[in-house]
Amino acid sequence: MTCDLVELMSLFDWCQWLEHTPFALAIAESTWLFPLIEGSHIMALPLSVGMIVIFDLRLLGLAFRDGPVSRIMREVLRWSKVGFAVAFITGVLLFMTHAGKAYGNGFFRVKLMLLLILGINAAVYQMVFYPKMTEWDLARRTPAGARLCAGLSLAAWIGVIICGRTMAYQF
Amino acid sequence: MTSWLWTLVNWCSTTALIVFVRDSKFGMPAVQSIHLVGITVLLASVLVLALRLAGLAMTDWPLPWLERQLKPWAVGALTLVVLSGTLIFVGTPAKYLASNPFRVKMALLGLAVLFHVAVVRRFLVMEPDARPRRHLVVAAVSLSVWFLVGWAGRAIAFVP
Repeated sequence: MTCDLVELMSLFDWCQWLEHTPFALAIAESTWLFPLIEGSHIMALPLSVGMIVIFDLRLLGLAFRDGPVSRIMREVLRWSKVGFAVAFITGVLLFMTHAGKAYGNGFFRVKLMLLLILGINAAVYQMVFYPKMTEWDLARRTPAGARLCAGLSLAAWIGVIICGRTMAYQF
Repeated sequence: MTSWLWTLVNWCSTTALIVFVRDSKFGMPAVQSIHLVGITVLLASVLVLALRLAGLAMTDWPLPWLERQLKPWAVGALTLVVLSGTLIFVGTPAKYLASNPFRVKMALLGLAVLFHVAVVRRFLVMEPDARPRRHLVVAAVSLSVWFLVGWAGRAIAFVP
C-alpha cells in the first residue's frame, strides 16, 4: 500500500519535473511553437487515423468492396505510418508541456488505454488474420474476426479523438 | 451582417439546445469532438483523392471508382462538420464574427468547395495518365486549401 503510493507519487513527480524542464517550458511559453505543435498533432489525424478508417471500412464491407483487401491495406498503411510519426512526436511534445495536468486527467488516461487497446488489436490482426489474407483478398464479406478487429479499431479511434479533444478543456 | 440575420442568430443563441451545448460541462467538448471526427474522415477522403491524382497512392484503381467509393463518406462527414460547426458558431456568434482566423477559415472553406466542384471533379473523370504534371498541381492545390481550412480553424483559439 505504502509502496504503491510512493510509486504513484514518483510518477507524478516525474511529470511535474518534465513539465518544468527548460525544453518543455520553452515550448509552453512560446507564442507560436505551442499552437504549431498542437495544430500539427490535430492535422495529422486525417493521415494517421483517417487512413486506418479507410482500411476498417473495407474490412467491414462498407466501402471499397471491389478492391483486394491486401492491396488497400498496403497502400493505406504506407501513408498512415507517416501520419502516426507526426502524431506521436507532436503528442510527446504536447504531453511534456502539460505533463502534471495530463497525469491526473481522466480523459488522458482513457486515451492512453484506448491507444494500448488499439496497439494490441493491430498486433492481433497482424498475427491472426494477416497471414491468411490472400484466402479472402477479394471477398466482399471478410471473416467475422477481421470485421470485429475493424469495428473495434473504428470505435476506439473515435474514442481517442473524443478523449483528446475533451482533455484540453480541463487544462 | 444584415440586421434580420443578426436577430435570427441572436435568437438561436438563446434556444435550449444551443445554451446546453455552450454552458454545460461536456456540451462543447462533445460537439467539438464530433466536429473533429468529421474533419478526420472528410480530409482523409481529400487526401486519398489527392494522393491518387498525384500518382502517389492507390494507383491500382481508377480515379472515378475511388471517388464513387469515398463520396458518401465525404458528403456525410462534411454534413457532420457543417452541422457541428454551426452549433459551435451560434452559441457565441459575436466571438466568431470578430475573429480574423474564423473569417479566413470561411473564405478558405468556400474556396475549397469551389475548387473541388469547378476543377478537381473534372480531373476525377479524366484519363488519369494524360497530364500527370497538371494532376500533381491540382492535387497540391486541393490538399493545401482543405488543410489550410483546418489550420485556420485551429488558429481561432490562438489568434484574435
